[in-house]
Amino acid sequence: MTSKIFRSIFATSIVVLMATLVIITSFLYDYFTDIQINQIKDELSIASVGTEQSGEEYLENLKSDNFRLTWVASDGTVLFDSQADKTAMDNHLDREEITEAFETGKGSSSRHSATLTEKTLYEAVLLSDGTVLRISVNRASGFVLLLGMMTPVIIVVIIAVIISAVLAHKMSKRIIEPLNKLDLDDPIENDAYEEIAPLLSRIHRQNMKIERKAAELNRRKDEFDLITKNMREGLVLLDKNRNILTINSAAMTIFGTDEKCTGNEFLTINRRHDITSAIEKALTSGHAEIRTKLGIREYQFDISRIETDGETVGAVVLAFDITEQADAERLRREFTANVSHELKTPLQTITGSAELIENGLVKQEDMSRFVGHIREEATRLVTLVDDIIRLSQLDEQNELQKENISLYDIANEACGVLRDSADKKDITLSVSGDSGNVCGVKQLLFEVIYNLCDNSIKYTPDGGKVEINVSETEKEVTLTVSDNGIGIATEHHARIFERFYRVDKSHSKKSGGTGLGLSIVKHAVQYHGGKIALQSEIGNGTIVTVVIPKI
Amino acid sequence: MRSRFDEQLNILNTEMIQMGAMCEEAIALATKALTTGDLSLAEKVETISEDIDQMERDIESHCMKLLLQQQPVARDLRQISAALKMITDMERIGDQSEDIAEIITYLEGKTAEETVSIRDMAAETISMVTDSVDAYVKKDIELAKTVITHDDKVDEYFDRIKSSLIKMIAENPENGEYALDLLMIAKYFERIGDHATNIAEWVIFSVTGEHKNS
Repeated sequence: MTSKIFRSIFATSIVVLMATLVIITSFLYDYFTDIQINQIKDELSIASVGTEQSGEEYLENLKSDNFRLTWVASDGTVLFDSQADKTAMDNHLDREEITEAFETGKGSSSRHSATLTEKTLYEAVLLSDGTVLRISVNRASGFVLLLGMMTPVIIVVIIAVIISAVLAHKMSKRIIEPLNKLDLDDPIENDAYEEIAPLLSRIHRQNMKIERKAAELNRRKDEFDLITKNMREGLVLLDKNRNILTINSAAMTIFGTDEKCTGNEFLTINRRHDITSAIEKALTSGHAEIRTKLGIREYQFDISRIETDGETVGAVVLAFDITEQADAERLRREFTANVSHELKTPLQTITGSAELIENGLVKQEDMSRFVGHIREEATRLVTLVDDIIRLSQLDEQNELQKENISLYDIANEACGVLRDSADKKDITLSVSGDSGNVCGVKQLLFEVIYNLCDNSIKYTPDGGKVEINVSETEKEVTLTVSDNGIGIATEHHARIFERFYRVDKSHSKKSGGTGLGLSIVKHAVQYHGGKIALQSEIGNGTIVTVVIPKI
Repeated sequence: MRSRFDEQLNILNTEMIQMGAMCEEAIALATKALTTGDLSLAEKVETISEDIDQMERDIESHCMKLLLQQQPVARDLRQISAALKMITDMERIGDQSEDIAEIITYLEGKTAEETVSIRDMAAETISMVTDSVDAYVKKDIELAKTVITHDDKVDEYFDRIKSSLIKMIAENPENGEYALDLLMIAKYFERIGDHATNIAEWVIFSVTGEHKNS
């Protein structure tokens, strides 16, 4: 900025200086030419008087180096010349000044020499005897004059240039200084010279505009942040080089990262091949979708390309947690598979036995055993279907008749039913505790206690014990069923309440049961808004705790 | 000039992460092949291992170019020289995963289910490789240090597996070849653990400028 101002000031002064020099020189040149012409005119008038009186003799005496006198006769022949031999000279009648003098009595002209370095001024006058006397003087031309004056001119120019440079520098500094000191945040308040006042007010308007824009942008960003922050789905915005532009808190949790990852490549937060290749696919073909597990949870990633004017500018990655959904799907699949299996096994025995009887392959004495098989398996089927119906009723969440009942009484009732099977294995079955009054569905609560005790008896070796305890607080009733049986390994704890899940994979008939008992227990407890907890170790028995709220 | 250099360093960083991810995938697939006996997975490991070799050459020439053209100093120099050392270790991890996959094809469908310890050992090495690459990505010295301490665990696993295999041979001499194959696999996992340790040490070097062995 300074140098530009400096340059223009400097250039201006140089141009002005040069122009002045040229104009003055040409004026002076003309002025001196006029003076010279007047001089030779005076000389000529004196010479003409002398020549008229004494002729050539006078002219001979007058010889001078300053000027040249030529006397021309009326026919153009040169009668005398002060600097040349008159005989060698041409007829002068065609010379401009002489022709003019013959016609008007006076003539003047000027001619440049062949080399342009000299200029000759001529003045002629007609004498009374009809001859013409011409005086001429040589002088350097303007150009030569200028050349001669070069040295002083250069000195003057150099001095002028130095002075103007110094002044231009100072001036530009003085112009710039207040500009550099401007307070742009508050332009109107500045105390600067008035030429820049329009600029200042423009800056002021611009500032206001920027402020408004910034506020608007901030508002939008806040809106965006608020929305993405409260999203349950993970959201990551990537630019076309796969750098992270935005990541919301859900996505940070999913990828196990923090805000610092913004600006880094996506690879730095997750480098799983399936995810990165899905992003590549989305960037090239527009959309990609994958399901994958990150840690223990399962996610679905929807990745879409973002385009503006047909150009890829980035991608948006949406992550949905589908763990529950995937679990439910898996459960449903397993349930269907299990139901078919459980239904098929007894039917196979039934058809097998029936076929044998039909073909007469069964001896009369074995008949009752085979029919017994068929009946047993049919009963199993009925129990199974009963259980399934009960479960689906619970699934439907039908409103069942609730009444005020004592869990202690129900426990006693269940024990009564199970007494026989307990006695068979020599297992002590005992009920203790408070009366435990709750408002609930009797049938379901009976089912809960029955199934828990039944399991305990089944998985407790001969001579063991099963204890039921009911305790009551103001808000809830706690029921515990504990045994000293074979226990359940930790890895099965989470799954034994699933339908048809069995710790013993062989689905052995040895223990009987349908595999739905604990599932029914879970649903029944949930129906009453209660909670169920399991505490067990291999070989150390099992304690099941059921907590049911009173209201 | 500087910004171009930074950009090139970024590209190098990305390539390193990609190569690390490829190693993780190779070893994970090899382990999966081992536990499921799925031979198609073993073949996949081979292709990944080839990709890793190619990646090593690419990164190497990239590093050389950076060293020659930019003449980096201090931290940048450390990053590049550490990268040069790390890719050798990563390449070895890829090769050893491939070797494991190759042995699996000799097992004739037998899986390592009977030797639970090998699975645990594999899980431990995978987490070491993952953590060492993570340490590189996050420039996390603490994580790198944990990787180094975990190497002892893998060594311990190896000793345990070795003695259980000796017992297995003593009980069933006809299972000798199978047992030896399993021993080789365990050895390869142990070596992978060592390479992960090396990577972790270079991560520490690239951040602090101090290497354990110097």
